[in-house]
Amino acid sequence: MDAKGAPLPTPPSPNPSGSRASATVDAPKPMLAFHFLRALSRVHAGPARRRTRTISRAAYSSMARAAGPRRAWSRALLRQAQARRSTTLASRRAAVLVRRRVVAGPAPPLALPRLTGRSSGNTSGETSAARAALLPPPPPAPRQGGEPARSDALRRLVPGGAGMEYCSLLEETADYVRCLRAQVQLMQGLADLFSCQ
Amino acid sequence: MTLLNQIQTVRSRSRQSGSSRITDEQISDLVSKLQDLLPEARLRGNDRVPSSRVLQETCSYIRSLHREVDDLSERLSELLATSDMSTAQAAVIRSLLM
Repeated sequence: MDAKGAPLPTPPSPNPSGSRASATVDAPKPMLAFHFLRALSRVHAGPARRRTRTISRAAYSSMARAAGPRRAWSRALLRQAQARRSTTLASRRAAVLVRRRVVAGPAPPLALPRLTGRSSGNTSGETSAARAALLPPPPPAPRQGGEPARSDALRRLVPGGAGMEYCSLLEETADYVRCLRAQVQLMQGLADLFSCQ
Repeated sequence: MTLLNQIQTVRSRSRQSGSSRITDEQISDLVSKLQDLLPEARLRGNDRVPSSRVLQETCSYIRSLHREVDDLSERLSELLATSDMSTAQAAVIRSLLM
């Protein structure tokens, strides 16, 4: 069935740049299939509502699990999945408040004249933090000399890309694109399998 | 040694010497690796594509991959609901074993 000889669990789907050799080794495709199929079986056994979003999340977390903790993007995805699993509604609300306060902290205080006494008193700190949260966050300054404008969009797209150096971002992006493509191929193959009955 | 390790070694060495700049050559090397990953429809000629264009194409490629994941998730959720699981399982197991 598989002419390439590699242990591909999915039916061979056309890989656009399959002829080029990749320098680094990714997570083997069977691991990707294992994690995703396991997640799919849980989705099938579970409630029938909002399955699309559950499956989409399962795709990203199984991708991250197959890649393991050696990559910053997979660690970021695993952290997101863990945070989602371990929050109830109340703690999710508290997490949003904490996030607002953290965002307000490093924001430049020059716009708010009353922010000078940030350490004094809890109430003034909270109101100014709330007011700072309402302001649009300042655009992040370009990290390094090369290609800052485009790299901001890339940082938003790659999970965990916000705090990285530029060259780390490029490496992580390459790995993320490879794994994303493998995940899409896997899901495409599964969809084809399920639909030919 | 991976490219990132090499860059980190260079970075620590150059920090000792006073300057902390990653060489442009290494960055363009990484960018060309990204360019190789893009599907061929998005590359107009392999040489001398400006790196900003590579980043732009990479961003749109990642966005299209995200969209594909969402579309396939929707399709899979419909298929899970309607398909006969026993024959689907048989098909999956058959393809995994071969």
